[in-house]
Amino acid sequence: MGLATFLERTWSGITGLVKPRSASSLFRLADQYRHEGRYEDAAELITEGLRVSPNIAVGHLLDAYLHVVFREMPAAKASFRRVLGLDPYHPRALFGLARIALEEGDIEGCRPFLDRAIQYFPDFPEAKALQEMVATWTAPAPGASTAIGTISAERLRLPPGAQDLVLTRADGTLVFAQGSEERQKHLGLHMTQVYRIASATLARAGLGAMRRGVIEGAAETTFLRSDGGVILGVALAREVEVGAGLVQVGRLWTDLNIKA
Amino acid sequence: MADPQTTTDSNSTPPGAPVPRPSRAQAFRETLSELTRLDGVRGGLIVTPDGLVITSELPPRFPVEALAALAATLGRELELGATRLERGAFKTALFSADDGTVFVGGSPVGYVTLVADRNVNNEGVRTALGRAVDRLRGTWRTPTP
Repeated sequence: MGLATFLERTWSGITGLVKPRSASSLFRLADQYRHEGRYEDAAELITEGLRVSPNIAVGHLLDAYLHVVFREMPAAKASFRRVLGLDPYHPRALFGLARIALEEGDIEGCRPFLDRAIQYFPDFPEAKALQEMVATWTAPAPGASTAIGTISAERLRLPPGAQDLVLTRADGTLVFAQGSEERQKHLGLHMTQVYRIASATLARAGLGAMRRGVIEGAAETTFLRSDGGVILGVALAREVEVGAGLVQVGRLWTDLNIKA
Repeated sequence: MADPQTTTDSNSTPPGAPVPRPSRAQAFRETLSELTRLDGVRGGLIVTPDGLVITSELPPRFPVEALAALAATLGRELELGATRLERGAFKTALFSADDGTVFVGGSPVGYVTLVADRNVNNEGVRTALGRAVDRLRGTWRTPTP
């Protein structure tokens, strides 16, 4: 190798090392890493990309996605809003805000985001799936009554260690729950939302309406039963097997003489 | 709907970018592949909390994107409910209907969702899913080398 070639290659190598990377190349690579589950690497590149070019919508969108992955919802919301500040009709940002509204329990706030996303981008199956799901959700009717007789705790064959017994209507009307008023509220809302989203998922998979559910937590396992009108839930010891727990919740269902 | 970003070639690493590391995606694919081989399991997918499908093995007629959006929403609700009710992290869940069952496994990385037949061995799949979720938790805690 001649001296000139050597010097040229050396100079080229040096300039290559210090050559600033474009924001778009950083974001492309960050998105690739995100698809590979390399979130920490992706986050570094996005931070660098936004430092170089703070007004690129896709950078803020990727930033929002990573905040969601890390469950940093206020930051995710802020990043999705930055995307809309740059592109008011960005369907993915609208969809992201819809999902955050949904998990905050703000159903009315969720709907306009989904509607706008689909209005500007009709071929959007994820948004359509959520739009169709929330369209079926109705608010409790004022003074809604239940066909369930008076709940008599003595009549119930509550298994030992059972807790968080809850009975709600599919529209969210709380019929009965154990615990403090605050806990009853959380139980009722959670059971209703789980039932609604699980039903939509089962229906989308072509399996029919949800009848039974089992949620295994760190300390206990919650068993659910529904006939489409009401949802009954009870938490039992974590080690209770699926079949045995469903039998127990079936007994409670009978004891409550549920007729939706 | 495809993401607005263009996917990139793995050889397009710009100068000075982090040195490529083995991706978690391979671990995700292997985990899902094991689960979808269980008797009665028709298929499944792994979706991140933001709804990105990392890997899926579903029959062609399944609406993957719609199912992913619903699975991510369901996974988040299960996580949030566990937190609000102070029950600790949710690990697995199953929801059955007249024609089949959906299983959901929760991990920091995302949610493993399986679609199964009506007569599937619930306890067996739940146990296998629990083990898979534990492995995924391991990939999250362990920094990529």
